[in-house]
Amino acid sequence: MLDFNLALDKALLKPVAYVYKEGVPDPLQINVTNFLSNLRGPVVFANDLLQGEFERAGNTLLRFAMNSTIGILGINDFAAEAGVPKHTEDFGQTLATWQVEEGPYLVLPIFGPSNPRDGFGLLADSLIDPFTWLTPFEFRIGRAVGQAVDRRARAYDQLNDLEKNSLDFYAAIRSLYRQKRRDEIRNGAPATIKPVPGGLSGAPTTGAPATQQSNATPTEK
Amino acid sequence: MFRSPIAALGALVLLVLVHTTPTAAANPAGFVKDMGDKAFASLSETGLTDEQRAERFRGLLHEAFDLPRIARFTLGRYWRTATDAEKTEFIDLFEKFVVQAYSARFQDLSGKKLNVIQAREVSASQALVLSEILIPGKPSVKINWRVRSKDEEHKIVDVMVEGISMSVTQRDEFAAVIRQTGGNIDGLIKALRRKTASN
Repeated sequence: MLDFNLALDKALLKPVAYVYKEGVPDPLQINVTNFLSNLRGPVVFANDLLQGEFERAGNTLLRFAMNSTIGILGINDFAAEAGVPKHTEDFGQTLATWQVEEGPYLVLPIFGPSNPRDGFGLLADSLIDPFTWLTPFEFRIGRAVGQAVDRRARAYDQLNDLEKNSLDFYAAIRSLYRQKRRDEIRNGAPATIKPVPGGLSGAPTTGAPATQQSNATPTEK
Repeated sequence: MFRSPIAALGALVLLVLVHTTPTAAANPAGFVKDMGDKAFASLSETGLTDEQRAERFRGLLHEAFDLPRIARFTLGRYWRTATDAEKTEFIDLFEKFVVQAYSARFQDLSGKKLNVIQAREVSASQALVLSEILIPGKPSVKINWRVRSKDEEHKIVDVMVEGISMSVTQRDEFAAVIRQTGGNIDGLIKALRRKTASN
């Protein structure tokens, strides 16, 4: 499945993302990123609530109200400038906070790195999302394409770098995906008791897959 | 130990004072700040060739990082079964690999700035230094440094970029390579030789 995605990326998404990244002025690209992430406001809000994060839910609501109006349909992130920074949430993360295990790593067609929990979350989010129900089909397609190009363009340099400098691209992507998700689930709080080089033999991180933990034996001399 | 509570209190105050006196690079946060400033000054110089940058990067790497410890960590459980010769070669190749993979990432430092936010103690010998890279017109990048301190000497043992540990990523990748080549570190060493010889 990774091969299929990589072929699709190489033939279509990567060239489009490149033209977009190089051809569209930076401020306009930021407007696009802002617009797309503002559209996710209701989904983030719902997941904030489902996780019992009421303060963050309030922030999301405030951001959505502010940016959709004076931010002109979300193309400007004035809320962040006013001290209410962006955060994301999704149903995969909500399930994680409900102690649902992630399951095995999967590469989904088109959607890319995932696992059963996050795959289900993806589906749930699209059902929770009012814009799924309130907007015409053409808009939804445009949004999905825009999201793909925006995300690919922003990850362009990093992915090139990884492809060039990794010994095993698949394994590197898998590791990055798992770590990124764990970071998102923790809402960016530093994981201080993770087994790392030179660490005391700390408690294992909750939610870390057993296969990855088994070889984590930091050694103290 | 102390004959009077006053003496004990005095010793405690002294201890606290000694431990909180801010001197240059005497604490992990100061160390990261100093090394960051040094790296920015050294690597952002204009007109550097790729080789020159890689050489400077190698110097900084040795000064700031505990590379043998990181190398050992990235081998995980395979470290124990490796022979001494394999360990030595692996550490050497690991350094080359890191210089090759990471020095190119410091090509464009113009306008960027490292802002050290605070340090948190993780254990008696380790601290986590929270920082961010400020990039003009872009969202800042959160970088946390795990610093191990011994006898006033600090060494970085891990870097976490937006919550992603470089050491853990490397360990997972190396483990995958080892598994695919028959569960032996020899396969990884060959792969690293090829990789570091290619450029």
